[in-house]
Amino acid sequence: MSAVGAIVAAPPRVSDATTEPAWVRRALIAVALAFLGLFLFVPLVAVFAEALKKGVDVYLAAIVEPDALAAIRLTLVAAAISVPLNCVFGVAAAWAIAKFDFRGKNLLLTLIDLPFSVSPVIAGLIFVLVFGLQGWFGEWLRDHDVKIIFALPGIVIATIFITFPFVARELIPLMQTQGIEQEEAARVLGASGWQIVRRVTLPNVRWALLYGVILCNARAMGEFGAVSVVSGHIRGQTNTMPLHIEILYNEYQFAAAFAVASLLAGLALLTLVLKIVVERRVAAQASGATR
Amino acid sequence: MSIEVRHLFKRFGATVVCDDLSLDIPAGQLVALLGPSGSGKTTLLRIIAGLEVPDSGSVLFHGEDATDADVRERRVGFVFQHYALFGHMTIFENVAFGLRVRPKAVRPDDEEIRARVARLLELVQLGPLGDRYPHQLSGGQRQRIALVRALAVEPRVLLLDEPFGALDARVRKELRRWLRRLHDEMQVTSVFVTHDQEEAMEVADRIVVMNQGRIEQDGAPDEVYDHPATPFVLQFLGDVNLFRGGTPTPGAADGRTAYVRPHELEVVAEAEAGSVPVTFAQALTIGPNTRLEFRRSDDQSYVDVEMSRAQWLALRDRLGLKPGTRVHLLPRKVTRFASEDVDPAAMI
Repeated sequence: MSAVGAIVAAPPRVSDATTEPAWVRRALIAVALAFLGLFLFVPLVAVFAEALKKGVDVYLAAIVEPDALAAIRLTLVAAAISVPLNCVFGVAAAWAIAKFDFRGKNLLLTLIDLPFSVSPVIAGLIFVLVFGLQGWFGEWLRDHDVKIIFALPGIVIATIFITFPFVARELIPLMQTQGIEQEEAARVLGASGWQIVRRVTLPNVRWALLYGVILCNARAMGEFGAVSVVSGHIRGQTNTMPLHIEILYNEYQFAAAFAVASLLAGLALLTLVLKIVVERRVAAQASGATR
Repeated sequence: MSIEVRHLFKRFGATVVCDDLSLDIPAGQLVALLGPSGSGKTTLLRIIAGLEVPDSGSVLFHGEDATDADVRERRVGFVFQHYALFGHMTIFENVAFGLRVRPKAVRPDDEEIRARVARLLELVQLGPLGDRYPHQLSGGQRQRIALVRALAVEPRVLLLDEPFGALDARVRKELRRWLRRLHDEMQVTSVFVTHDQEEAMEVADRIVVMNQGRIEQDGAPDEVYDHPATPFVLQFLGDVNLFRGGTPTPGAADGRTAYVRPHELEVVAEAEAGSVPVTFAQALTIGPNTRLEFRRSDDQSYVDVEMSRAQWLALRDRLGLKPGTRVHLLPRKVTRFASEDVDPAAMI
């Protein structure tokens, strides 16, 4: 049991028998670093450099401009709705899959992964086909004066679809290794269903849950493809930050485009830092669970 | 409080794990459910706890039907094989859990919880460890915490699932004795599951031997050992030599298999009525006892004989035993069964 914990906690020792000559190791590291610099570091620097190229005033003006503010607000609202919903969904799905045996469990597992395997553009199109004016519910929705496509509900639905594997995927393996013994113990001790969830199940997965939420949030704010299809690109109304950046860029407002982009890049960096911190706690928790 | 189990059936898929089980456990008894893995003993325990639902049959607590009662209403204490301590809570909080989750009306106040938990931790001599976390404790300490956590809610019955299975031999021995003492003090009706016959013999008032979802025998440890009801019980409770085809034959050879425990065979120099001719193969001394291996002259099968080391040394000098020496084995006690339907595959 502690063997699993040891694997998570301590880096595996490299034996001499599998080690390559020094020059091979150096060459491989150099190649990896070169790729990293070229494809990750340089673009990141470029975003901030381009954003600030015409000075801090232009940078700030691009961000406080009404359309930009509207896009920021919309992105935050969409994330604020979809992340908690996916959090609830993820916990429920992981709970069901890890703690119970039922028919169709594998089907549910496959469905949870579906958003990862479907192109976001297709995902967006699905919702246009379902809720759009020519779609299945189009006429009914129009008659009842409900706007989904080209409005906030559509953006939220598309975002939920795209991001719904993150929390569930993070929780399922951990919950499966933890098993149901602790829940059974709590039950025998007299805890109600809700008390078990709140006092035993959730605390046992809290870091993995936070990790899933961070990833889910990063993707929710950065999603482009699916949202692009359902939003309609109405300035100041249905443009999220990624869509706003694209429009600015297409209109040759490079500094403004990069200014807004730098906000997203900043979010990505913040996510990265949080991710590293939380990842450590997840590893600690996983090893604690198996000890 | 007494427990009664009536005609319990339970199957998982095609496997029948409880096959018409009926059992009476009077108040205050400490009962061992003994059997190989897959014999249904753990399932029976979980059905009594309410963690598993039987397909049919009933469970009665103190004469009242509890079959459909929720786990929470049964007020049982359950100790899991792998402790199932809450890893994110301190030892103190683990023990206090059962009290903290009570509905407000019957929940003791903070001060009382504190006092009760402290008392329980004293009981298992782990008082100073209250603010540690489970992963900082040794296996034996964790198991003791699991036990007092179950006792904290003042259960009417205590159920233990292979409580010492995951511990090393020395700690196991210590905890067995401790459990026996604890039970004598608290007098709570207890049932524990084990596959270790030594553990069952040492701790329990009564042993229920199970095999393939059925109860093979139910009785006091000595009774089960000395008067096994079936070949399965005989073989599960200790080493035994099988003499097929009626030998050795004190009395008439009737074709039935004779079972003789290794310590109930005498080594003699000359043939006597009922003895078997054998050749000495080797002697293995384990601690204070010596196991001798003999080979039968007629069908070349092995026969084990066990005696104390001192007896062996005296015997060796008296008969001049060395590998190849021909001697005879005389059984002091032979067990035979009316029916011969023992399934060798069920023996583990």
